Amino acid sequence: MKMLLRATLAGLTAAAVSPLVAMAQGQAPALAEMVAAGTLPPLEERLPTNPEVVAPIDSIGTYGGTIRRFLSGSNDHNSFLRFVGPQGLTRWEADFSEVIPNVAESWTTNEDSSEFTFKLREGMRWSDGEPFTADDIMFFVDDLLNNEEFYPTAPARFVVGGETMQAEKIDDVTVKLIFAAPYGTFLTELATPLAQEPVLWAKHYCQQFHPAYNADVQALVDASPAVEDWPSLFRLNCGEVEAPNRWSNADRPTLDPWVVTGEGYTAGSTLVMMERNPYFWKVDTEGNQLPYVDTLQWGVAQDAQAILLEAIAGNVDMQARRIASLANQPVLFENAEKAGYKLFQRTAADSNDMAIHFNHTHQDPEMRALLTNKDVRIALSIAIDRDEIIDIVYQGVGEPWQIGPLPQHALYNEQLGRQHTEYDPDRANEILDAAGYDQRNGDGVRLFPSGEPIVFNVNYPGVETPQHGDTLEIIKDHWADIGIGLNATSVERSIYYARGEANEHDFMVWGAPGGLDPTLSPRDVLAVHPQASWFAIPWTRWYLSGGSEGIEPSESMKTRLALYDQFKAEADQEKALGLFRQIHQMAADEFEIIGITFRPSTYGVVNAKLRNVPEALPGSWMYPDPAPTLPWTYYYAE
Amino acid sequence: MTDERASGPPGAAGVAPQAAIGHSERDVAIASQWQLTRWAFRRHKLALVSLWVIGALYLLSIFAEVVSPFDPTQQNRRAVYHPPQMIHFIDRTEEGIRLRPYVYEMDRQRDQRTLAVTYVPSGEKTYLAFFGRGDAYKLWGLFPAERHLLVPVNPRDGFYLFGADRLGRDMFSRVIYGTRISMSIGLVGVAISLVLGVVLGGVSGFYGGRVDVLIQRLIEFVLSLPTIPIWLALAAALPPDWPIYQQYFVITLIVSLVGWTELGRVVRGRFLAMKNEDFVIAARLDGASEWRIIWRHMLPSLSSHIIASLTLAIPLMILAETGLSFLGLGLTPPAISWGVLLKEAQNIVSISQAPWLFVPGGFVVLAVLAFNFLGDGLRDAADPYGH
Amino acid sequence: MIWRYILKRILWMIPFMFGVSVVSFLLIQAPPGDFLTTYIAKLGESNELLDQATIDNLRARFGLDQPLYVQYFKWVGNVLQGDFGMSFEWRQPVNELVWERMALTLLVSMATLLFTWAIAFPIGVYSAVHKYSIGDYIATMIGFIGLATPNFLLALVLMYIGVVYFGSDVGGLFSPEYQNAPWSWGKVVDLMNHLWLPMVVLGTSATASLIRIMRANLLDELHKPYVDTARAKGLSEFWLIMKYPVRVALNPFISTIGWVLPNLVSGAVITAIVLSLPLAGPLMLQALLSQDMYLAGAFVLLLSLLTVIGMLISDILLVLLDPRVRYD
Repeated sequence: MKMLLRATLAGLTAAAVSPLVAMAQGQAPALAEMVAAGTLPPLEERLPTNPEVVAPIDSIGTYGGTIRRFLSGSNDHNSFLRFVGPQGLTRWEADFSEVIPNVAESWTTNEDSSEFTFKLREGMRWSDGEPFTADDIMFFVDDLLNNEEFYPTAPARFVVGGETMQAEKIDDVTVKLIFAAPYGTFLTELATPLAQEPVLWAKHYCQQFHPAYNADVQALVDASPAVEDWPSLFRLNCGEVEAPNRWSNADRPTLDPWVVTGEGYTAGSTLVMMERNPYFWKVDTEGNQLPYVDTLQWGVAQDAQAILLEAIAGNVDMQARRIASLANQPVLFENAEKAGYKLFQRTAADSNDMAIHFNHTHQDPEMRALLTNKDVRIALSIAIDRDEIIDIVYQGVGEPWQIGPLPQHALYNEQLGRQHTEYDPDRANEILDAAGYDQRNGDGVRLFPSGEPIVFNVNYPGVETPQHGDTLEIIKDHWADIGIGLNATSVERSIYYARGEANEHDFMVWGAPGGLDPTLSPRDVLAVHPQASWFAIPWTRWYLSGGSEGIEPSESMKTRLALYDQFKAEADQEKALGLFRQIHQMAADEFEIIGITFRPSTYGVVNAKLRNVPEALPGSWMYPDPAPTLPWTYYYAE
Repeated sequence: MTDERASGPPGAAGVAPQAAIGHSERDVAIASQWQLTRWAFRRHKLALVSLWVIGALYLLSIFAEVVSPFDPTQQNRRAVYHPPQMIHFIDRTEEGIRLRPYVYEMDRQRDQRTLAVTYVPSGEKTYLAFFGRGDAYKLWGLFPAERHLLVPVNPRDGFYLFGADRLGRDMFSRVIYGTRISMSIGLVGVAISLVLGVVLGGVSGFYGGRVDVLIQRLIEFVLSLPTIPIWLALAAALPPDWPIYQQYFVITLIVSLVGWTELGRVVRGRFLAMKNEDFVIAARLDGASEWRIIWRHMLPSLSSHIIASLTLAIPLMILAETGLSFLGLGLTPPAISWGVLLKEAQNIVSISQAPWLFVPGGFVVLAVLAFNFLGDGLRDAADPYGH
Repeated sequence: MIWRYILKRILWMIPFMFGVSVVSFLLIQAPPGDFLTTYIAKLGESNELLDQATIDNLRARFGLDQPLYVQYFKWVGNVLQGDFGMSFEWRQPVNELVWERMALTLLVSMATLLFTWAIAFPIGVYSAVHKYSIGDYIATMIGFIGLATPNFLLALVLMYIGVVYFGSDVGGLFSPEYQNAPWSWGKVVDLMNHLWLPMVVLGTSATASLIRIMRANLLDELHKPYVDTARAKGLSEFWLIMKYPVRVALNPFISTIGWVLPNLVSGAVITAIVLSLPLAGPLMLQALLSQDMYLAGAFVLLLSLLTVIGMLISDILLVLLDPRVRYD
């Protein structure tokens, strides 16, 4: 797995140390009391024989304290996931450079990367004290994943070559996952935030909601209001990987460092409390059981401004979500000392804050002819004064940039990132004249051959990304200088998506991922994402349907998609990276999408007394920060 | 059925001495309703002042292009979060004292770490000119012009009476353009309310019986629906690529929904009370058609009340517009209204770094106050025989 | 007589609520797309891929692939059995989500109503008795400034001042330690400590109109002959005003129960978002925005019902208190 996601980030050191004999075994005082009182088994019975040993980045910690964070709006459940961590079979190294063991102790892969044998930790337990074994994974694969009532269609990440993943139990701590075809990226896929399903559901608890194990499940269904069938009942009680109900049942056993208490997280929540899992299976290098911090306290604020206010009042102990922005930065710095917090840098893993996806499959032939003309796209790109936008909208932070991996990444392609970013309106005018759009109307707007003025109508979701509106207003001025009209309208998010999916857009604006995670988020260089590869939605349909729907892509894109299929199956990392280099080079030559600037790094707040928090960490959904920096090693200094 | 909720006092006939102070008893006796109203209104000082304020606001909106020194959408990288500037008139230079308007030029400095922006005087003065040349515009979309009330002599200089926003756009110009939209939304909205309210309220009050019950139920029905989903549904029905003026019309329609039920109740109450007045009965006995009775006899005697109610409805609509914008359901940038401006200012950063962004809030308060006092004055005055 | 009237009004509520249910269902359905559109949008933001089959699965799971009228009758049928359905977004039964919020909404609204009365009553009386005095101007001016300031602005600024200069809690109705605690005396005190801010912010807008109503009605009464008679009989001026005119002028106060409640609930959406209050409004708004049909529908129905009941109560009180009001 090495090299695949290499990011050179200072401040993060390797956090996992391979098996090391843990001698001095420590545990939280409250747990020790319970052991003494006989209400909890002793530590050695709660830990697996081979717990994961984690090296804190600063120092060995002490037990106690509460970390306070805030959720925004009502539906912000992924904030839990990002702090508690997706405790899947594998996870990211803290510097986002490679995939390392997590729930699995180790693994082996067969020759062609179609079979993965995972060795689990012997003696590991769920948060209610019941053993975690291969049976739990078998329960997922046999009774859920391959059950058509539960998953009428299996999640895409567990399907290769049209066949759903199968499993074979070798012994209680060994299980083999089997695919119909090579799946070289599977281990990486397992480290992504929503790939936790194989180890999400505890069989001993969840089987009561499954007809294969509980013949009377229909009685339970009938007794539960609003529940109509057993999958609904199962999901209501055992949770889904990406839904609030995962955090609403305090009785549900988990493998997480902290577990919800009381009512958990519901629409009515104003405060969610989580307590340490006494059976958590990670220890520090001195053998002390993690986590150090006793409780997590999650306030719920409807408005992001209220979270910012809580932060500057010193009521937030570690958070970047919803408050880290360039606009907020002066306020955060101003109040740091008074409120007793420090700032940590969240290095964006994204490539560009705003990419312009010209619609290469536009329904109007004239507009399509314009937008698929590479010279026109070059003209539109160099007519934008990116420095001015950076100065006004991005507070001077950033660099003119198109798309693709960032310079510190192994896959960096200078052409893809930096071509045509120079500001040259005169040359842009010349290019457009030469391209045959030299007629203008009375207002100086260039005309299509039919005599219609060239005016783009573009939507942006103003609530989510107001900075795109600001940028578009400036671009409107820049493009007016080359005789191109632009009307930008803010719309509600679902309207924005609906129009994009209906292929009704001239172009779409959206952030471009893939700065530090280019292979995980290739949607800007490959037409693979039906809700984000806006430059050619019908191409994505063609690809995903195997050619039966949508529109056949350009030759270049077809070649790239073929390379991508090879990449997914490729087990050899060097070869895999080579395939992606080819994809990037072809995308750079085609120049389908243009961008404005690097996504700027922002600052989150961390309590000045909290230790083991890195000064800088990557921020991305694929690296669901801050979980990979191991919040269970955070502790309060005296 | 009970209907006396908060309706105004019954319009009793007879001479009320207070209304006629300053006028002889004979004047009062023969004065028309309008004269009486005017006399009574003049006594209401706050209402008079409010009338002037409202007049000034509408004047500003009519001549927004001339009054505002800059294009309200023009960003300026050198003026991000520029603080407000004071205009000076007495210019002491080496050549002596001269009388001409100027402001002190400010230079932007940005802390690279905290990104805080500060402005320091550069020592230069920016001279201003009345009716100088500035950005070209078309007055009311018709007449091309480039003169503005007060602009920098050198068009490339900045001048920020109310400061500038996060993109360096001149807040003064934005507020003036916002005044145009917000003040007219109130006016147009009230016109729609008026039609709905008078027609339905009038019919309900005049005919009574089943029609009355039906319309009353309708009003109750509309009142009992929570407003948020109505707003949301209507706002969502707005096609995204509609030009701003069409969006504007829909928003106006939405805010007018806020007002018509109340107006309908008032009109109905008055009609009910008036139906049995002598002059209506006389007209009916005279053989006048119902339509004629309503239009010629009843409505005119109601008009002062209606005007008062309308005046009180306008501020509610102005506030409704700001509320809609806050929820993201109202006008959206690049349209400029007070609501849009306040929505943009609604954050901690603005409070702590650029409090001048709340100037539009001052305008909202001013306009709403003025309309309320005017409405109160009108209502007191509309009852010349009252007290 | 009065019982017949009440019965009649209650019977009226049945077709009325039916109408409300149809209209609210249509309103919720009116925006383009459905819950899945917003769900896809949300997943797309976090770069998650959904294939068309999965989307269809979910659509079938939520019953969104059925015709509108089928969805409507299924919903209403369940509601009549006391089952509001499953929230799409929360994947939890709606019944578990709405009641606590509705209760707190009622609590805050009632507290605000009392606050409004407490302020508006004396000011209204004062400015009617001392019409056009300096005091009258100042009192009405204060009331109107409250009305004129947009709630969301007032809320944010007050909260900022409270937090930065007085170190108070940010919004909410409870301190963290009482948030999930069972009810106790300490929790009640804590609630009172937090309640004043929403009460002031929400109350300011209603106060002005109540002052105005009180003043206008009292002015009417003060010039009635019976007041002169009473004065001629030598009643003290205070009792003279309090005994009859004020009582008569109180009617509009009572009738405010009917419309202040829905106003507060709707107006409270904005304030509750800014102040992070766990009221019905923000959840309803979010449910509407994400087209979480059953959750939004439950709120719309319950709030409408609240309004109708409020109107009924105020009408009944009016009939009982004021013999002049007819009922037929």
